[in-house]
Amino acid sequence: MAGTVRIVLFATAREAVGRGRLDEAIGPSGIELAALLERLGTEYPRLRRVVAVSRFVVNGAYTTSRDVHLKAGDEVAVHPPYSGG
Amino acid sequence: MPRIRLTHGRLEIAPAYAELDDPACGGVVLFAGRVRPDRQAGSRVVRLDYEADRKLALRSLEEIAASGRRRFGLGKALLWHRTGPVRVGEVSVIVGAAAPHRAQAFRGARWMIDRLKSQTPIWKTERAPPERRPPRRPGPRRGRSAG
Repeated sequence: MAGTVRIVLFATAREAVGRGRLDEAIGPSGIELAALLERLGTEYPRLRRVVAVSRFVVNGAYTTSRDVHLKAGDEVAVHPPYSGG
Repeated sequence: MPRIRLTHGRLEIAPAYAELDDPACGGVVLFAGRVRPDRQAGSRVVRLDYEADRKLALRSLEEIAASGRRRFGLGKALLWHRTGPVRVGEVSVIVGAAAPHRAQAFRGARWMIDRLKSQTPIWKTERAPPERRPPRRPGPRRGRSAG
């Protein structure tokens, strides 16, 4: 089923896009994380450099693979390098 | 007060120390990180704005405390972090370790703050007032003809 994937952006990722949340439309077959990031990089060129050094959280769990398949209703958080303390 | 906190409120050392009270622990180490007035593009930083992926950050702090207790034999471990605006001089983070002996407490506290900085989804953004330019000196008047 077609729908949207929600992208939650923090810190420099949010600054690169200009807002903290995006809802990206996807087709019924879903989309791979890598393809979604490529699309976002085209829409928001400043995001490319941030994405290159970020970690990703899909539905609350860290993922090390960009091959992970996303479907409608999924949520991806973009975590740039941490700087707490 | 819980030993894991992410809060907009001020962080104080005394209640953190009280949380680490354990009669079996002869050593208590408390680390407090404060906001420095660093320079940024000619201006002095006046505050840091902290944000967190709250759910994952709390989970991370819990895991760090549990690992710290296990690895260093700590009786108690505490991790508190601010979110939102934190002004220069205020405390942004407190890490505490209580252990039977001082060496464990020092090593445990050091390990936990290092771990927090690299593994916990918290971000800071420096905020400085815009750079002030010196006022322009009035130049000689031009273009006005008399009469």
